[in-house]
Amino acid sequence: MTATVGTHAWTRTETPAAPGAGATLRAEWVKFWTVRSTPWSLAAMLGLGAGLTTLVCALSAEALARGDVGEPVGAFVTWGVVFAQVTAVVLGALVVTSEYGTGMIRATLAATPRRGAVLAAKAAVLASTLFAAGTLTALAGYLGGNWFLDREGIGLALTDDGVLRSILGSGLYMAGLGLFAAGVGLLVRHTAAALAVVLGLVFVVGNLVMVLPGAWGEWATKLMPGNAGSRIATPESFNPLLLDPWVGFAVFVAEVAVVLALAAVVFARRDA
Amino acid sequence: MIAAHRLTKTYGPRTAVDGIGFTVEPGRVTGFLGPNGAGKSTTMRMVLGLDRPTSGSVTVNGRRYADHPAPLREVGALLEARALHPGRSARDHLRWLAASNGIPRTRVDEVLDLVGLTAVADQRVGRFSLGMGQRLGIAAALIGDPPVVVLDEPVNGLDPEGIRWVRTLARDLAAEGRTVFVSSHLMSEMALTADHLVVIGRGRVLADCSTAEFVAQHAASHVRVRSPQHDQVATLLRREGLDVAAHGGELRVRGLEAAAVGELVGRSGLLLHELTLVRSSLEDAFMTLTGDSVEYAATPAGASR
Repeated sequence: MTATVGTHAWTRTETPAAPGAGATLRAEWVKFWTVRSTPWSLAAMLGLGAGLTTLVCALSAEALARGDVGEPVGAFVTWGVVFAQVTAVVLGALVVTSEYGTGMIRATLAATPRRGAVLAAKAAVLASTLFAAGTLTALAGYLGGNWFLDREGIGLALTDDGVLRSILGSGLYMAGLGLFAAGVGLLVRHTAAALAVVLGLVFVVGNLVMVLPGAWGEWATKLMPGNAGSRIATPESFNPLLLDPWVGFAVFVAEVAVVLALAAVVFARRDA
Repeated sequence: MIAAHRLTKTYGPRTAVDGIGFTVEPGRVTGFLGPNGAGKSTTMRMVLGLDRPTSGSVTVNGRRYADHPAPLREVGALLEARALHPGRSARDHLRWLAASNGIPRTRVDEVLDLVGLTAVADQRVGRFSLGMGQRLGIAAALIGDPPVVVLDEPVNGLDPEGIRWVRTLARDLAAEGRTVFVSSHLMSEMALTADHLVVIGRGRVLADCSTAEFVAQHAASHVRVRSPQHDQVATLLRREGLDVAAHGGELRVRGLEAAAVGELVGRSGLLLHELTLVRSSLEDAFMTLTGDSVEYAATPAGASR
């Protein structure tokens, strides 16, 4: 072998300069967009979220207009978000657990030993992407679904109470849910386990606690992450029990923060 | 330079690395040799700051790994074969590594070229053979053009051509003045690649010496002599003060080189049918050394500094 490994001007300084705060972020951005699970998850989010909202509005517009559904119209214009949130959970979990599944985490931490920086960069890339995708999904679903509602004369304008908030709120909720899943993923280090825990909490436990008797059941319902956080993503809710949109979201953010803080502490101490 | 000082790692009741100390000097290939489970990979992970030592310390060029602001420019490491996401292309894998340490993107193509993966750079690495995966791992190790290179079992899964390539690369890197630390469980491979050996077994250093010294010390040799005048030859050699043992029809002579034995016998006019230098293999020596690590740990063979 005759090729020289090379001695480069940029390496032979006394102490190599710190690569700058953006370097870890750029690395995580490249990683995020160079695996197929990312575009697939986001396409699924858009398809499920916008598609199902449009479909359910198309199917129920006439009945809603007649007034024999008994549910508020505002609960329909972001209906698909309920399903789209699965994709945010999957993407959030995979960002972390795929590194443990493949052994990549060692390459990551060898490149950037500051584990807090790695976690922060992952969180920033994930949350910003999910916020954009969630907002776009909700907007597309609103535009599609509202077209059918408008035909029946019951459409909602963007300026109507809670509509714009729910569209941006869908983005915020997706971002929060992704971070929640990433935090759990960091704690359990296993894709299937992370998905089971988060999807179980959001879809199964979140609904089961409603059958608990009395105040217990009521407050458990209000405080479960999927219930507290999702109210912000819809102008009106099917479930009258839920906390107000921003109050609920604040609770959700606090829950996500606790999970992430716990994950950060464990991550910093654990052998890779 | 890598310097380990009383480095220890325990997992519950099990001690994987037991207070080892060694230095890896620049400008030569240092082989890190031990049977599977001896603590090589654990030690290497501690060198790279991935695992936290239970006690003791290890530094690279005077600092803990994690304290280097751009570690990939200081230390390049090949860890287990597949610290890769199978869905990502080779080029993208190197791109994120480069980005993480502020390394110019042009370096990605350079290292791809260096390891001969340019043609498959855009294929997903899940389709790579074990050997191609190892080459990519070596490309990743070299991306920061680092003065210290750590390779954990680099020849695993390589074909003979690939093994020779790694051997040459390691020697070239050392010749350029870099610190090269290569682990292996194959004594024969290390004998060809390394200038210096750190041998460990059950988490302890059993030997820390030059490869030549190790070979001289541990690979016992004798001269095999066959003659139709078996008894006369034996008597003659014993009279010269040599250690002669008869094994069936052959004599095993220790204490003199083959040529000198031949001359002695020739001068006395006796006949020889065979005169052969017999070396016990290095692999045997290694087995003997590491086979019962506890015994050797009690009587350090020039070890445990």
